[in-house]
Order: sequence, then C-alpha cells, then structure tokens
Amino acid sequence: MVKRKLGALEKVEADLPNLQHKIRRDPKSYIEDFRAQHYQYESHREIFMTAPSSTTETGLISLRELIDFIAHVADCYPEITKDFPQQLMDILSQHHLILQPELREKIVGSLVLLRKKELLDSATLLQTLFPILISTPSKTLRALIFQKILMDLRQANAKTTNHKLNRTMQTVLFNLVTSDRTSSKGLWAIKLTRELWKRQIWTDAKAVEVMKEASLASNEKVIVGGVRFFLGGDKEREEMEDESSDEEAIDLGRVKHQVGINKKTRKKSRAVEKAKATVKRRERKKNQPHPLNFSALHLLHDPQGYAESLFSKHLQSTKSKLNLDQKLMVLQLVTRLVGLHKLHIMHLYSYFQKFLTPRQPSVTSFLASLAQASHDLVPPDDLEPLVQKIANEFVSEASASEVASAGLNAIREICARQPLAMNETLLQDLVMYRKSKDKGVMMAGRGLLSLFREVNPEMLKRRDRGKDASIGLKAGERKEKRFAEQEAGGIEGLELLEKWKEEERRKRRAEKGLASDASDDEEEGEEDNWASWNVEDDEDSDDSGDWINVQSDAEIDISDSEDEKDGPPAKKAKSSESSSDDKAEKKEEEKEESAEAKFSKLATTRILTPADLAKLQELRTEAAINSLVPGAKKRDRDDPLTAEEIEGLAALSAGKATREERIAHAKEGKTDRSEHKSITAKRKERKQDQGKSTTNKEKARKKNFLMTLGKAKSKNKRSLVQTRAVLKAHHDRAKRGGRRGNIG
Amino acid sequence: MGSSSKKKKEKQKDFQKPKLKVGKAKAKPDNFTDTSFKSKSITLTQQSLTLHAPSTTHQFTHHVSLLNSKSDTQRRDSLAHLTTHLTSAPTSQPLPIPVSTLLPTLSPLILDASTTVRTQLLKLLRTLPPSDVEDHVASLMPYVRAGMTHLAADIRVTAVDVLSWLVEIAGEAVVSCAGGWIKTLNCFLSVLGWHTEESSKWSSNRAAFGKAGAKGKPMVKVLGVLAEFLEAGIGEDDDEMEVDGEGESGNGTGVGGFPIVQTDVHMVPKSAQPYVYLNLFGAPRDEEGEMYETREERFRVFKGRFLVPVERGLESARQDGGEVGRASSAVSKVLKEARGVDWEV
Repeated sequence: MVKRKLGALEKVEADLPNLQHKIRRDPKSYIEDFRAQHYQYESHREIFMTAPSSTTETGLISLRELIDFIAHVADCYPEITKDFPQQLMDILSQHHLILQPELREKIVGSLVLLRKKELLDSATLLQTLFPILISTPSKTLRALIFQKILMDLRQANAKTTNHKLNRTMQTVLFNLVTSDRTSSKGLWAIKLTRELWKRQIWTDAKAVEVMKEASLASNEKVIVGGVRFFLGGDKEREEMEDESSDEEAIDLGRVKHQVGINKKTRKKSRAVEKAKATVKRRERKKNQPHPLNFSALHLLHDPQGYAESLFSKHLQSTKSKLNLDQKLMVLQLVTRLVGLHKLHIMHLYSYFQKFLTPRQPSVTSFLASLAQASHDLVPPDDLEPLVQKIANEFVSEASASEVASAGLNAIREICARQPLAMNETLLQDLVMYRKSKDKGVMMAGRGLLSLFREVNPEMLKRRDRGKDASIGLKAGERKEKRFAEQEAGGIEGLELLEKWKEEERRKRRAEKGLASDASDDEEEGEEDNWASWNVEDDEDSDDSGDWINVQSDAEIDISDSEDEKDGPPAKKAKSSESSSDDKAEKKEEEKEESAEAKFSKLATTRILTPADLAKLQELRTEAAINSLVPGAKKRDRDDPLTAEEIEGLAALSAGKATREERIAHAKEGKTDRSEHKSITAKRKERKQDQGKSTTNKEKARKKNFLMTLGKAKSKNKRSLVQTRAVLKAHHDRAKRGGRRGNIG
Repeated sequence: MGSSSKKKKEKQKDFQKPKLKVGKAKAKPDNFTDTSFKSKSITLTQQSLTLHAPSTTHQFTHHVSLLNSKSDTQRRDSLAHLTTHLTSAPTSQPLPIPVSTLLPTLSPLILDASTTVRTQLLKLLRTLPPSDVEDHVASLMPYVRAGMTHLAADIRVTAVDVLSWLVEIAGEAVVSCAGGWIKTLNCFLSVLGWHTEESSKWSSNRAAFGKAGAKGKPMVKVLGVLAEFLEAGIGEDDDEMEVDGEGESGNGTGVGGFPIVQTDVHMVPKSAQPYVYLNLFGAPRDEEGEMYETREERFRVFKGRFLVPVERGLESARQDGGEVGRASSAVSKVLKEARGVDWEV
C-alpha cells in the first residue's frame, strides 16, 4: 500500500484549533501546553515588536493565530493571561498605522472577544478603540472599529442602562466635537450619537448637547451632520421602533404542531423553546408602559441661544461657507426651533426678505421655513411686510399658476400661525383667487378663505363669511384673537377618555338593570378606578379576586355614612350635601357646560391614575389611526412644514401631471389592497402559505383523465355480484373511517 | 397520445446528428470551452538570457533572497548552497554579506515546517564565524525560544540544537542578553514539563499534546543542553579567572602604569554594544526581560524562581533511570557546583 502523503500541518501537528478545543473541555490538564503557547506568543511578540512593520509570516504559526488562540481560551487561565489585553491594546494603539490589515483586524476582534469574556471592561476597550477610529486612515479598519464600538455600547446597555459608561462616552464625544471645530473628526461623534439615538440607547440631553455642538462647528460636513440629526433623528427613531415592533408574528400553535409531526431532534426542540421565549418576551414588552422619549428638539438647553448662534454663525455671517442646500437645512432647523419653542430672533424676518422672489432657487423651502418661523408671539409688524411681499411677488394674474398657488399656500400657513399678520384689503383681494380657472390656485384660495372663516371672519366680506361664521359672529362667540392671547390648555385626548368612561359606566349600569343616567352609584365606579390604580394592578386583582371583593363590600358599608370617604374632595362635598334629585339637576347643567369645557371637568376633579393614562394613550393612538383616513389630517406642532406642502396642489394644475402621477395621486389616500381574486383562489393560496397539502378530493379532480379511463371501463363490465361486493366494501370502509381505520 | 409524442420529439432533439457540410468548418460541440488566450509577454522561467555567468557574490545574494521561497526544496537547496560557499571560501576572506544582514533572514527558518530545511539550517549556522554571531545573539534568542515552545516536537528539538550551538560559541552572551536568562529557563521548564508539581508527575510530559519525536531521545538532548546552559549561566566562572589573569599580567608588565592597577576597567569595553544594558532606545523591560549580567545575579534569580521546580524535575528524572537519569545527573552536577560556589561567596 502506498503511504499516504501528509500535509505540512498534519506532519507537525501544529494544530492550534485542536488544542483550543481540548483546552475548552479540560483546562486544568492542558495548562502546560497553554503555558508553552503563551511563551510562544511572548517570543513572537518580542520578534514582532522589534520590527512591527515587517511581515510576521514566520514558519507555521503566525502571531495572528497565536493571538486568536490565546484570546479564545484566555478565560480559562486568567492568571497567566492577565497582561494579555493590555499588550494587545499597546500593540494596536502604537502600531495601528503600520500593522498588517489582517493582524490589525484580528487584534480588534480579539479585544472585543476579551470584552465578551469579561476580561476587559467596556470603558477601557472604548478608550482604546475610539482614538484609533478617529485617527486611522484605513477605511476598513474604521468600519470595523465603528461597528465594534457600536456593538459594545449596545451590549453594555442591553439589560439596564449603563449610565457610567454612557456618560464617559458622551463626554469623550463632546470633547471631540468641541476641541477642534474645524476638523471633520466630529463626524464620528455624530455617526455614533445618531446611531445610538436611533436605537434608543441614548435618549438624554447630553447626547443632544453633542449634536448641538456639532451643528455649531466650522466644518461643513459636521454642521450638516448635526443639523440633519435635529431635522430627522427622531423620525428615524420612530421608524426604527415601528420596524422592530412589527417583526413577523410567531404562531406558537403551529410551531408546536409541526414538532408533533416531524422528526424530533434536539435542534427542533430548541427552536420551540426559542419561539416560546420570544413570544413571552414580546408579551411582556407589550404590557410595559410606553417609554417616554422626548424629541431631540425638546431636550435642548437654551433653545433661544442655540437658535440665535446658529442663525448668526451659519446664515447671517458672510464668512459661512455653506452652499444653498446646506443653508436651507440650517434655516429649517432654526425656524423649527423658533416655531416650536416660540422664540424670537431679531433679524430672522428681515433675513427672509431678500429670498422671497419667484426666481429664487428652491423658494418653496424658504416659504415653508418662513411659515414655520411664525407663531402667535411674533409681532405682526414683523410679518406683515413679508406677507405683503409674497402677495406682490407671487400672487398675481400674470404669474404662473404654480407660483400663485405656492404664494397663497405660504400666506395661508403664515396666517394660520399668526392671523394678525394679514390686513383686510389684502385678504379680500387674495380670497378672490378662489374663482381662478386653475385648480391649484383655486384650492389655495379656498384654503385661505376657510382659514379666515375660522380664525377671523370679520375680515372677510359679508358674503364670503359662510353660514357658521356669520351665526357665530351674531351670537358673539367668535372673537378676534388678540396678540399673544393664550388659550387655556388641556390634555390631549382627554375628552376621548371621558367619553369612554361614560360609556363604561353606562354599560355597567345596564348590566345591573338600573337607569343609565342616574348617578348615585358613581362613587362605587370611582372606587373601582382607585382599586385599579396601576396598570399592573389589574393582574393582581385577577389573581386574588376574593381579597378585592372584601374590599368592595367594606366600601359599600362605608358609602352609607359617606363621611369618611377618601375620594376626591370636590366630589365628596357635592355628594354629601345633595340628594339624588339635586344631582340630576347638576347633571343637566354639566351637560350644557360640557360642550365647551368638557376637559376641565375630568382633569380638575380627579386624579388621573396610571391606568387612566394608559387608556388615554390607547385612545389617542386609536384616534390617530382613525384620522389616517384621507381628508382628516391634523397637524402636530412637532411636525415640520415641508416645501411640498407649500407647493400644495400645484400638481393639479392642468396639463402638468402625467398619467402615472395622476394615478399615484388618486391612490394616495387609499388603503393597500391586494390583487382581485376568487374566493377559491384565495383559499388555495392561504393553504399553500400554511404549508398544507391537497385533499383527496382535489387529488381526484386533478387526476389525469387517461389514468381514470381503465377503471371506468372495467366498471361497466362488472357483474352484479362484483358491484355489490365493491359497494359493501366501500360502506364498511367508510364506517371504519378509511383504509387505515380511524384509530387516532 | 398527444403529450407522449411531444415528449418523444423532445427526447429525440437531444440526439440529433449535426450535419456536416463541405467547405465549412466542423460545428463546435455544445460543451466546447474556449481555452485560447492572449498574452502580452512571454516569460521563460528556465532560461537565463544573460551572457556572463553570475559572480559568486551575486549568486550568494540570490540564494539569500531565495530563503523566503515558498517551496521547501528551494529553501533547502539555497541553504545547502550557502553552506558550501561558506565552507569552501577561505576564512580570511570576508563574507559576501555580513552576518548582521544574513541572520535576520536565517533566524525565521528555525521555525520552518520542513525538517530537512531545519537540519540544513543548523549546518549553515555552524559554519558561520562565531565571533560575528556573538553580537547578534540577542536578536536570535526570541526565535530560539519560540522554537522551544513550538507545538511541533521536531521544531522544539531543532531549537534546542540551535541553542546548544549558541551556548557553545557564545555562552556568556546567551545568558546575559535581555530576556536571555529567565525567559529561556521558562522555556526549558515548559519543554521538560517541570513547571508545576502536577505536570512533572506525569511520565509522558510534553507528549501530552503534539507528536513527541524519537522516544526518550529529545528528553536526553534537552537535559544535556540545559546542563550546558546552566553551566554557562551559573557554573564556575571562567571570566573571573581571565580577569584575574589579565590583572596579574597587567601588574606584571605595566610597571609604568603603577597608579592604574586595573587598566582594563578604565578602557573602552571591547564588546560590540557596550552600553546596551542602559537600554536607551528600547521599550522598558520587565523583570523577565531584564539583562542579568553577572553570575551572582543570575544565581539569585535562579534560586528564587527555578531551583524548586528544577530540583523536583531532576529528582523524577533520576528516578526514571536509563539515559534520562544519566543526563539528569549532568545537570545535578552543575547545580551542585554552582551552590558550592555560592556558599564560598
């Protein structure tokens, strides 16, 4: 027999993975071997340190493999390897510029591995990696290190927020951004912060502060990065959350069923365990209260100072090197801040003046920014010339329809925020454009009209006011809002909550068989509310039902005396002194009032429990979903105003839209609908999706005609006895439940 | 019927004969692969186009460059060529390449995977002039140590051989270079498996992982080299004798140099790197990497760190008997002498 040829590795058994495997299984016995390899590593390191840039391919085993090996088993011999992490960090930080790419990556990977094995703490690792990230010229290394840093931060914050680490890291980033404002190194701080913000790992003011400093830098890239974060970071975060929340649902029943059918392997049972765990985790997650995440714009300290310095540094100064797009972005941010926090920047409005001509590139963005910047605390004197200018420049019979509609829309948006910026003659002039031939202009004119019918119908001509506004004016309900007049605020969606509560009460009473609008039992319902103070408490009460029952019995006893009740004082006073008739009267009064001031009642007479707040949140989202139906859109104050909205229905102007655009527009509000199909086809598809096979009936139907022919022919030739035998057999079989019998 | 005839036709399509036509090239088969290629230049690997035969120096440098070749045989042949060149050339003539540039290319070959290369390397090393090598011991030692702890037993044996050669030609330099004492002793202990009590109990030390070479032999060899190494490090000092001798001679001849009794101390040292112990340019050293230049220092370190495991190992080796036992006795002898000296001092 010919002797088998051996490969070089086999010949000398220089097999580190094999040794690694053995050490994993029995570290104590292989300590000598490990020690030898550690000496080997030391010698190789020594050789390497004398000439770091040379190739280290010495013989069979390279330094890279040794590092890999030691990193993998370092946790078995912490005594021997206690210097190992520090040595790696030294090599990396001193020689990262000249190291071989492979070795470099291996060292980074090994450091992360050591971190996973808890032989190295996060702070040290990040302090090593971060300086390299910002100084290395190698793109691959940067990508690798960025990914590793991100991963490490995520893992450190996975179970609980690691405040200490976050704080140090944020300080490092902050210093990076602030130390040298002209360098583009701040980009890494931006990238990191933005990513962590997106994943909701950093949600605090300090992260926002880093971005704020970034946007005040002198390097264009850094500025744009910071500004982009404020304009889009929160939206990104929301999208990320949505994405993670609608992962594909796991059908636990189906998984269990499949395991029952298929071959039982360890892998499959593990998969079931995993599915169970996932479902459980999601369930728990669903029950958790919604985390309160403020948007970045709300977390800013001193928005006034920030907006002012942004404006003066990037927009007003002639030295600013930003191009138009970048300037527009900064302007958007400034105006959003102004609109959101109701700030006042002295020269902002006069700054707009020179950009408001139809020939200005991307003028709609300027218009949108202007509209954003106006709020009810802006002096009308500041805005009036701008409105006048828009009207003069954009809105005229001679100008193109898109221009006119953009101008009208802009004016409408400004006036929606500060109605006092409009004067009567101009308004009446502009409103005439609702008679325009062009659809876009017409819609814009109507928009303006309907806006003023609501906010200040007196400025319109009598015949333009419309029915509701005229009646309102007569009754004296509608009054012009004075400058800086504030409306009494409420809690958003509170009326929904109240409505819901009312309905609940009515239902309960209907169950008990009482009249639905008598209110003497109100206290009890209220007490129920007190019992379910927390969302979680609901579960408790389910678990120990009798305990709660005793409580409620006692409550009824006390309710006779009605004196020592610990409900809210306002109610108590009312209920203690009045009979049921009195209450009925009051109820009527309340009904009258409730049309106007419904919200005030609930919020001022009760303390809203967390359970209430949870319900409120639910109702709010429900309402939001309902409002997604086309037509009913309500602007949130946090949402930015975009140039598209200013352009508005200019797309509708005749002859401008292609067929596809029109179709797209028509489809815009409609819900997604799948292809039209017959019911059977749908059923079939569903079956196929669920991985089920065909029925016997289907198989019979599909069977090749030729295959059935033989049997059909022979059937004709059967004798009576044969036929009987066949029928009988069929009958028996049917009784038994098929050929195999209906056993189980 | 309908479908079956269709199938038949489809089947037949696969076996249709290609029609040959007069005056036309034969049709290429379906699975024809175009293997023609174009090249901008033609390289002749075998032939040399130079007219003159290369000079010996040129050949020498060429073979030095071939030491990094991928193929085992090429490396071995180059080494053999270098060896013959060195042996055949008269000793008075300097080497075509100085040892200082030659050694960095040679030293990685200590860890070479191929046995023949390593044996050839050993032969080459032995032909190098000892005085030149002495200055470069410090750069060679890491490779030797890496070899001694290598996973492959053969490489360990070769490394021990190299160390034996080094100790032979430059014993003092080996034990006193940076890291030469503690680190090398550590390597010895790990080769012999004497580090911990537990591991020395096993009869099959070091064979625990990786293939042990010829049975028993490596152990004997390692013990032998250990004895040499210890002898060089903490054995009876020849240097002191020399110093004494020189002192005497100085006293004897230098009548005129009366005020200066030990002239040698005040002269510029003769070694190549006299101030290396100051470590002016290197990274700071730890205890293990430190230089231990005198015998006393070395013995102190040895006593503190290695005496117990070495004695334990020697004891078990003695109990093994046979060749190993005999080899161990050589080491014991060195130890005993060293202790004797120590007591005297």
